[in-house]
Formats: sequence, structure tokens, C-alpha cells
Amino acid sequence: MEKVNYCTSCGVHLSDKGFARFACPECDTELGRCIKCRQQSNNYVCPKCGFMGP
Amino acid sequence: MEEDQVIEETLDEQVEQKVEEAPVEAETPNVETTKEDTTETAGPEGPAPDSTSLVPIDEYLASGIHIGTQQKTQDMMKFVYRVRTDGLYVLDIQATDSRIRQVSHFLSKYDPAKILVVSARQYGQFPAKMFSKAIGAKSMVGRFIPGTLTNPSNEGFFEPDAIMVTDPAGDAQVIKEAVNIGIPVIGLCDTNNMISNVDLVIPTNNKGRKALSLIYWLLAREISKEKDIPFNYTMDDFEAGL
Repeated sequence: MEKVNYCTSCGVHLSDKGFARFACPECDTELGRCIKCRQQSNNYVCPKCGFMGP
Repeated sequence: MEEDQVIEETLDEQVEQKVEEAPVEAETPNVETTKEDTTETAGPEGPAPDSTSLVPIDEYLASGIHIGTQQKTQDMMKFVYRVRTDGLYVLDIQATDSRIRQVSHFLSKYDPAKILVVSARQYGQFPAKMFSKAIGAKSMVGRFIPGTLTNPSNEGFFEPDAIMVTDPAGDAQVIKEAVNIGIPVIGLCDTNNMISNVDLVIPTNNKGRKALSLIYWLLAREISKEKDIPFNYTMDDFEAGL
């Protein structure tokens, strides 16, 4: 699986601590969430299957 | 001058028509979903059999998995099906069902020994223990000692790959530490929960004894199916005592 280096929600580079990488629950595409998007509970959409979280 | 007035009038008519049409277009999908849900959840002759749901809708309703609270957060509004006349927010069972499938698929990708299930809530402790026993995960129930995930000199230090919490409000310390170490958090969220720092939400009643036992039992069953682990538990085995 290719490592995602950018937040799926906002596109920021995943460099600071607190981000998370995980597989899409539908299609296993890797998704990334930066610390701010996690804190603010911003929605993310899988670019492959369109799954919307959280 | 007369021509200008005619043009203005026709433009006004067009604008009015658009304004009238717009809400109808926006509301149509909601109306359709409401109709579907109504037939399945509250039909006069009982709920319609649904081959696509994990358990019959009857069982979902009997366990009260859809019962929310009289408070709601904006985060959870997308999972709310309707508001009862007494102000109680009711969750969408279809959303719960599909999220259980997705979370099961998600967790089955991880090594069970590296999954941590946490429950500070009394009624969630027994189902969480049973869940961890069924799939071979680790559970931490009751008081969570701060530093368990972040301080290597701590006695029960553990580094999981994914975390599941029973109540994001009650298990706030675990979520905080999970954010620090950068692992995904799955949360059982009720209508009154904030979903801050939760990466995957299962909308459910996280206060009821039966609701929690059903959720954990379903998750354990689906993960076992995905991993081809034998699963010999009934729903009653997951139910906490009174």
C-alpha cells in the first residue's frame, strides 16, 4: 500500500505528530488525517470509493 | 420603457420559480430515505424483513440501538433519523448497520493482538472484555491509567495499532494518548457525543446494556467471519449483568 503523505481532508503535509494513517474501511486505500482535521472533526472522503468519514 | 418592465417581470418570475424549485430538489432524497426507513423501522405490521442487515431490524429495535438522547451535537446530526415529539433524537439504523460492517472490515486488517478496546462505562465493560476475548484483542476497562500508551516506564505500557472506545467523552484520556502516538480511533458515538479526534464513528446508543452487547457481539462476529476465526458466542454471552 502506498504511503499517503498528505491529509485527505485539507491536503496539508503530514509532518507534525498527531496525524493518523489508516486504510479506507470500504476499499483499503490509505487515508491520512492531520492533527487539526482530527481535532476539528473535519470530514474526509476516500478519493477512490467516495467513503465519507468520520 | 414598457419592454424593460416586461423583461424585469419575466426575470422575477424565473427567479421565483427557481426559489420554489430549489428546496424541492434538495429535499427529495431526504424524503425518499425517510420513506424507506419508515417502512423498515416503524411499519404498522412490524418491520419489513431485510436480508441486507446483519441481524433482523427487530433485534436492533429491541436492543434500543437507535435510541439517542435529548441532546445532540452538530457532528452527529448526519446520523440522526428523526426527532421524537418528546425531544429524543433517534439514530438511523441503516447507518449503524453499514458502519458495523465497515469497522469490522477495517479492524480485520489489523493484528488482533494490537487492537485495544477501552470502556470506562460500566455497561460497556463486560461486552468489551468478551469482544477482546472472542477476537484475541486487548481490553482495558474501568479507569484508564494515564501514560499507558505514551510512557514506556509505565507498568502496563502498551502500543496498539488501533483503538476502539465505548464513549468518546468517558474515554477522553485514551483518545488524547492515541492522538499523541498517531493511531486511528474508532468510537461508539451517541447523539450527544463530540467526534473530535475520532477517525471512524459507529452511531449507536452507547448507554444501554443491551445496545452495547449487541454492537460488540456483531463486531466480534463480523471480524471473526472476515478472519475465519471460529465464533461460538450468542448475543446473551455478551450481555452484562444488571
